[in-house]
Amino acid sequence: MGSILIPHLKTGWHVDQAIMSEEERLVVIRFGKDGDQDCMKMDETLFKVAERVKNYAVIYVCDIEQVPDFNTMYELYDNVTVMFFFRNKHMMCDFGTGNNNKLNWVLEDKQELIDIIETIYRGAKKGRGLVISPKDYSTRHRY
Amino acid sequence: MMNKKSFLQMEAPANYVAGLGRGATGFTTRSDIGPAREGPSEEAIKAVLAKRAQALGQDAPSSFSKDKKEDEDDNDTERYQDPENEVGLFAGGTYDEDDDEADRIYAAVDAKMDKRRKIQREAREIAERDEYERKNPKIQQQFADLKRGLETVSDEDWASLPEVGDLTGRNRRAKQNQIKRFYAVPDSVLAGARDQGAMDTTVQEDNADGTMTNFASIGAAQKKVFGSRLDQVAASSNDSAGGSTNVDPKGYLTSLNNSVIQSITEQEVGDIKRVRSLLDSVVKTNPKHAPGWIAAARVEEYGNRIVQARVIIAKGCEHCPTSEDVWLEAIRLNESQNAKIIVATAVKNLPKSIRLWIEAARLESDTRAKKRVIRKGLDVIPQSVQLWKEAVNLEDDPNDAKILLARAVELIPMSVELWLALARLESYSNAQAVLNKARKAVPSSHEIWLAAARLQEQEGKGDAIVSQVMKRAIKQLSDISAMLKREEWIAEAEKCEEEGAILTCQAIIRETLGWELDEDDDRKKTWMEDAQNSIGRGKYETARAIYAYALRVFYNKKSIWRAAADLEKNHGTKEALWALLEKATESCPTSEVLWMMLAKEKWQSKDVDGARRVLGLAFKQNPNNEDIWLAAVKLEAENKQFDAARSLLKTARNEAGTARVWIKSVAYERQLGDIDAALELVNEGLEKYPKVDKLWMMKGQIYQGENKLPQAREAYASGTKACPLSVPLWILASRLEEAAGVVIKARSIMDRARLAVPKNPQLWCESVRVERRAGNLQQAKTLMANALQQCPSSGLLWTEQIMHLEGRSQRKSRMVEAIRKAESDPVLIVTIARNFWAERKLDKAAAWFEKAIVADADQGDTWAWYWKYLLEHGTEVKRADVLSKLSVTEPRHGEIWQAIAKAPQNATKTPEEILYMVVEKLE
Repeated sequence: MGSILIPHLKTGWHVDQAIMSEEERLVVIRFGKDGDQDCMKMDETLFKVAERVKNYAVIYVCDIEQVPDFNTMYELYDNVTVMFFFRNKHMMCDFGTGNNNKLNWVLEDKQELIDIIETIYRGAKKGRGLVISPKDYSTRHRY
Repeated sequence: MMNKKSFLQMEAPANYVAGLGRGATGFTTRSDIGPAREGPSEEAIKAVLAKRAQALGQDAPSSFSKDKKEDEDDNDTERYQDPENEVGLFAGGTYDEDDDEADRIYAAVDAKMDKRRKIQREAREIAERDEYERKNPKIQQQFADLKRGLETVSDEDWASLPEVGDLTGRNRRAKQNQIKRFYAVPDSVLAGARDQGAMDTTVQEDNADGTMTNFASIGAAQKKVFGSRLDQVAASSNDSAGGSTNVDPKGYLTSLNNSVIQSITEQEVGDIKRVRSLLDSVVKTNPKHAPGWIAAARVEEYGNRIVQARVIIAKGCEHCPTSEDVWLEAIRLNESQNAKIIVATAVKNLPKSIRLWIEAARLESDTRAKKRVIRKGLDVIPQSVQLWKEAVNLEDDPNDAKILLARAVELIPMSVELWLALARLESYSNAQAVLNKARKAVPSSHEIWLAAARLQEQEGKGDAIVSQVMKRAIKQLSDISAMLKREEWIAEAEKCEEEGAILTCQAIIRETLGWELDEDDDRKKTWMEDAQNSIGRGKYETARAIYAYALRVFYNKKSIWRAAADLEKNHGTKEALWALLEKATESCPTSEVLWMMLAKEKWQSKDVDGARRVLGLAFKQNPNNEDIWLAAVKLEAENKQFDAARSLLKTARNEAGTARVWIKSVAYERQLGDIDAALELVNEGLEKYPKVDKLWMMKGQIYQGENKLPQAREAYASGTKACPLSVPLWILASRLEEAAGVVIKARSIMDRARLAVPKNPQLWCESVRVERRAGNLQQAKTLMANALQQCPSSGLLWTEQIMHLEGRSQRKSRMVEAIRKAESDPVLIVTIARNFWAERKLDKAAAWFEKAIVADADQGDTWAWYWKYLLEHGTEVKRADVLSKLSVTEPRHGEIWQAIAKAPQNATKTPEEILYMVVEKLE
């Protein structure tokens, strides 16, 4: 249900516009296939937190089959990839997974997601390019 | 729900390149699948452009591609462009057909302008560049001619180019510091510098033949030499202590010298070659040094090269003809025939050497020849006692010997030995004369006096004459102040005793014991010590004589009497003991100990009437003495005279009604099985002596025996109230409760007991045992920890812990701890012995049992354990030995021993019987 209610970015231009049009908020974009099960789960979580983070973050989804422009650039090979941007800058976050560029697993805990988004927003406001995730996902992701 | 941005509803521009508009850059996290680092790739842009052109039905835009070409020509501009603003002012704008057209027009204009005046412009540009290059020549061009010269430089020249020094001032200080830094010179350098000028004189013959030095064997040999040297030093010190009293410093040194070199030959097994070369050099450098020759010969002998040895020693004889040692060594190394020749030469060279003469005599096999040699020797050295003795020994006929000795004493009047030998050979009367002469010749010799005394004794002249001789001896010797010390006289007396001259021994003691001692009571102590020492050396006659003398001086001293009686009891006859004890009781009639000893001795030799008589006499002397009363009772009781014993006890109670008499009375009744009478007596006794715990205990035990538990309990309760400090009473009370099955009560009694008598190991132990027997092992352990804190040096507690509360694996460490805290506690020692026994370390177990008995022979339990051990592992002899020792010591204490020995039905048992019973009771 979340996939339907979150605004979709239909083309690369929309993606760029979404990223560039926000001056004060974090832009959270989920890249993935809308029909994928992992994506649906992730969208569900994103949809549930969207209202609660709306003051400092805006959430979009983007189907990588519809918009293949960023697949190479952003290495979009996973089922679900969530990326963060702030004032046209790609925000990195050390999740402990070894890939600081994106969140590429299904996160079903709402509070954890909120925490991550908030942490990245706070870092971004201070001018940081890389923040450290409040929780280490290395073990959780592996097992 | 979400404030939607307007762009979401808009259409995307037709030829938009994703990411290009916002200058997006990608990233590479995984190189295997990795993409471009940059934003939209060139292909992507071209593809978009082509797609757009197709959609518009035009050619692909040329300007963009032309731009690209220019970029390729000179990509410097691209490279140094501001990355934030890389596509110019209109980067964010869309690139549509109008733009393209404008671009193309501009491009056409530029091309046109470029074509105009192209030739002039190019010529001018070339001229300008040349002018500029001439003014600012490049370094490369400046050195161009020199560079060309480098062609001739060969590889070697390149290799030998000098290193460029650091010409800058920046590192100068660091460098100077580096120069100033000092380093410690290693010891090896110093040692090398020291040895530089020195000449190395060590002979390394091991290396000469190419083999390696065997350091291990050298080390072993050195160790052996050192050990043998130590042995020799010990032996020589023993010799000097035992035998010769005067030390000739010169001779001592030479003998030391000899011994060192001899030891080399005997001990250095490992490197005989080395020693040989060493001694070779010794002999060569100092050929007049006799021990060197001897050592060299011995080395050869040791190496089984006897011929070589003889050659060396013959050379030695040539070089040192005045050394009798060399000659003796030569004689020893040669066969008897050659030896005779050598000894003849030797005697010619050294006619005054007694040893050579004796050696010569020894070499002769025939007695007559021997005599001849010795006589020759005596002609040359008439003053030699040794030669004279040899001569006398060779004579078979006593008469000839006498003649020889007579001559000898004429020549050497100072030799006591010869005088004594002569006296020994002569008949009694002549011997007296000889001794008299000898005395005149050597007035300071006590040996002659002793010989005289012993002569009298041998002739059976009796005590009087012997002591007269001794008296005269003392007088004369003290006149010329040649008196020996007291200790020496005692030693002489002991020697006489050893040789069977008892009378002389006694006489010596009698005359000399008081010598040089002050007339005070210290003498008693000294004499007792002397006697003890003599007993220790096994010289009982001497000790007896000392006691006799002491008793004559200190007639009334009980202690001497007792010591003397002990001596007789242990090492003398029964009659002597009786006589002595009777005398003792006469001299000290008030000493009940002596009376009792006498009575006991009489009784033990089945002389019951005699014992009675003695006791009767003792009564007369010591009326109302409880010991004697009780002894009498015991005597009667043992001889089954129950009525007599009973009446005696009654009288005793009336006349000497001490607590002990009461206790004994009750015990006696209990022993006879007359419980009512016993009970009556106990109550009577308790009225008189309510503070005597033993009476309370007996009362309780009587009730307990009758199985009247409430009464027993009451007896113990009032007992503990009357005597709160009596440990056994508390324990009995607790055991009563425990036997009745009321552990709680027992526990509370023990708690009270510990309050009344703090820090008592027995009470603590009993408390622990109450818990242990009730099965509360945990509680027992806690209590034990507490107990050990209170009484850390109690063997009893340690034993309880080690044997019952500790796992087998921890016992050892516990024992180590215990033995540190309670060193000589016999109970603990027995425990350790038992553990050794359990671990089958039998020798150690036996040793520890012995140790325990030595620590406290009064502990019956120790004996019992030892006996149990011996039953399994001991020999018959050992068992008999232990039994005899046991009956002498008569142990009376020990936990189990006491319980069994004190039981009324065992009152008449001997220690041996009790021992058997105790062994059965041991856990």
